[in-house]
Amino acid sequence: MKTNGNTYTVIYTTLVCVLVAAVLAVVSQALKPRQEANEKAETVRQILVAAGYGEMEGWRKADNTAVLDFFNENIVGNPQILSTSQLKAQNYNIKHDKPLSLPLYRFRNGITVLAVYGTGLWGPVWGYIGLEEDLATVAGAYFDHESETPGLGGKIKDDPSFRASFKGKKIRQEGQIEFDAISGATMTSRGLDDAIKNWISAYQKTEL
Amino acid sequence: MSKLKETILNPIFRNNPITTLVLGVCSALAVTVELKGALVMALSVTVVTGLSSLILSLIRNTIPNRVRIIVQLVVVALLVILVDQILKSFEATYAIDKQLSVYMGLIITNCIVMGRIEAFALGNKPLPSLLDGLANGLGYGLILIIVAFFRELLGSGTLFGIPVLKALGYPGNGLVILPPMALIILGCIIWVQKLWNT
Repeated sequence: MKTNGNTYTVIYTTLVCVLVAAVLAVVSQALKPRQEANEKAETVRQILVAAGYGEMEGWRKADNTAVLDFFNENIVGNPQILSTSQLKAQNYNIKHDKPLSLPLYRFRNGITVLAVYGTGLWGPVWGYIGLEEDLATVAGAYFDHESETPGLGGKIKDDPSFRASFKGKKIRQEGQIEFDAISGATMTSRGLDDAIKNWISAYQKTEL
Repeated sequence: MSKLKETILNPIFRNNPITTLVLGVCSALAVTVELKGALVMALSVTVVTGLSSLILSLIRNTIPNRVRIIVQLVVVALLVILVDQILKSFEATYAIDKQLSVYMGLIITNCIVMGRIEAFALGNKPLPSLLDGLANGLGYGLILIIVAFFRELLGSGTLFGIPVLKALGYPGNGLVILPPMALIILGCIIWVQKLWNT
């Protein structure tokens, strides 16, 4: 078979690309419900850690249903769990002064958890910050990211001492929380700082 | 038959992709902090090298020579995304996939995968190619698990998250958890391997 002609090469590569794209589309659609369930449980775990209910290591051992059950038993009201793409949409609304519906989780232990979302170095960074009853003192926090560099920006998630450093901090003017940046991860730290500032001041305008 | 046996055993021991060919070192340093992560990574790479070698060996006579690297890359990328998607879909593996984060996607750039396709699968029949791919993945996985064993045991004092040395009061060692120690352990394994090969 002659495989070096231009026509053959073009048709061959087109076919390979279409075929691969089709397989990926089918698989992605088929697995979506399962992945969304896992992501939702992961978000709930992060909210629970920010609310001061134990550490992430412990929640990792609990399965999805146990996590959701615990959440439903301890939450006040019935707030919606937002996916990261929904947080992203709210972030757009904050920046463009559009009507907001920010997620707010009040727990039976008196802690209120807020979400924050912003842009790190390589992709989005987001997190949950628990506030004491005075709505000014940080009770706990958990941060996550999509693709920050492991060992540098990735520390916002992987380093327990980083999230522990938020505990007891007060919200300052315009929603700022003062925290120690991670050395070597200037852009991630700055992105997280902006995320906290933008979101908490947006919360202050609307709900708190 | 002995040739097939050699195809399987050679990459695992004598011609190991990490210790002899020194390929795939980057990810070997990154994912060996814990045994669990190393094991999932080892299995994922084995599946990807095995299946990509099989698929490309099956279509090797139809690939236009000028775009063969691109076709290889597309097939490897397809398999890596499939593995990643499947790991994300199960409760048991979701957290590990999250922990492996970018390294999962970076299997695409693992030199072992493309190296075996170029060097073996494009010139051999499907069955030996499949075995060669799987064996190289296993060879890679073996080293990963040896390194992760020492790093988790001496770094955190646990094995698969179960306290071993930690239970005896071992406080853990931060240096072993950091990547430089992985390089040192890897260096020692290569040293032993060199002594054994000559």
